[in-house]
Amino acid sequence: MQELLYKKFSSKMYGVCLRYSGNVDDANDLLQEGFIKIFKNLHKFRGEGSFEGWIRRIFVNTSIEHFRKKIKLYNVTEVQENTVEDTDLTILDTLAEKDIIAIVNELSPGYKTVFNMHVVEGYSHKEIAEILGITEGTSKSQLARAKGVLKKSLEKAIDKTSKIP
Amino acid sequence: MQDFKNKLYNYEAEPPEGIWGKIDAELNSKGGKDISVTELRRRPKIIFYGITAAASLIIIFLISVIFNNSEKHQFENSSASLTQTQKQLLSSKKIQDSIKLNNKILEDIINSKKDKNFLAEIYENSLNKLKKYITIEGPEGQPVKISPKVATLIESADNEFPPKPVWNKKIEKWKQIMLSSTLSPTSTNLLEIVQVPSSSDNNE
Repeated sequence: MQELLYKKFSSKMYGVCLRYSGNVDDANDLLQEGFIKIFKNLHKFRGEGSFEGWIRRIFVNTSIEHFRKKIKLYNVTEVQENTVEDTDLTILDTLAEKDIIAIVNELSPGYKTVFNMHVVEGYSHKEIAEILGITEGTSKSQLARAKGVLKKSLEKAIDKTSKIP
Repeated sequence: MQDFKNKLYNYEAEPPEGIWGKIDAELNSKGGKDISVTELRRRPKIIFYGITAAASLIIIFLISVIFNNSEKHQFENSSASLTQTQKQLLSSKKIQDSIKLNNKILEDIINSKKDKNFLAEIYENSLNKLKKYITIEGPEGQPVKISPKVATLIESADNEFPPKPVWNKKIEKWKQIMLSSTLSPTSTNLLEIVQVPSSSDNNE
């Protein structure tokens, strides 16, 4: 039963672990830790929402806990960042999954966590602030910077591809 | 934009082999570390309950210490007051014993068929020479000191024989004075009592 469950969800959850960790070793540890938590707390699943959603939330929380010490997010006053519109990142849509992951993994742990939580998982800035113990302003600021870094990375990647004959 | 989000959200990768083996081993190990989801939430609760228990114990300890001290103080006070009461009881007991003894002597004198004056003298001149007076119980229960001779006289005043008209009159007046006053007669004021009626008699 447990092995079947592992086989069904391990690939998806390993993807989550890789997105947050950025390296295989940490992702392996997270996958192991996450599944142990799931198997020990299966009885706590109340059937509210999808089972996959419940599992994913456990993996996201495990990843955040795992990297909490590594991530140093300083509470900053909300300053006017050079806002990067989502349209500037539309070029990501044209890229393959692996390339997108590679670009996102170039972000620093702090930027990557906020980006993953807000853009991919859909957490609000308020929720991110509560989970990470930062202010909403810091969360917004981190996301804006993350998008800025992504934009630059994409521009570089485009330049490289255009120079290739 | 939504496309790359979906790609990231649904991104899958095949985990290395052997991960399941580690998970299975961890789940089956008896001493496996329990890392439940709510563990971090439970910890503050445990700490809270621990602190509450410790605080309760400290409060109970302090209350017991304060209570013991007050009780001890109260006990000391009560023992002190008891001692005082005991002293009072002892002194009153002494007086009672003295009154009983003197009453017994008086009864001996009164009930004796021998010459009462002679007996009174014997008592007066007995070993307890310092005791020139005996104590009898007054009309209000107060101790009254009188000499054995006077006691004999008072007792004989009730008898018709031998007739003692002068002494009987004097003693009757003294009795009236005694009943209206709580003053104990002394050797001097008894003399005054005896003398006052006699002077009034003279005036008459």
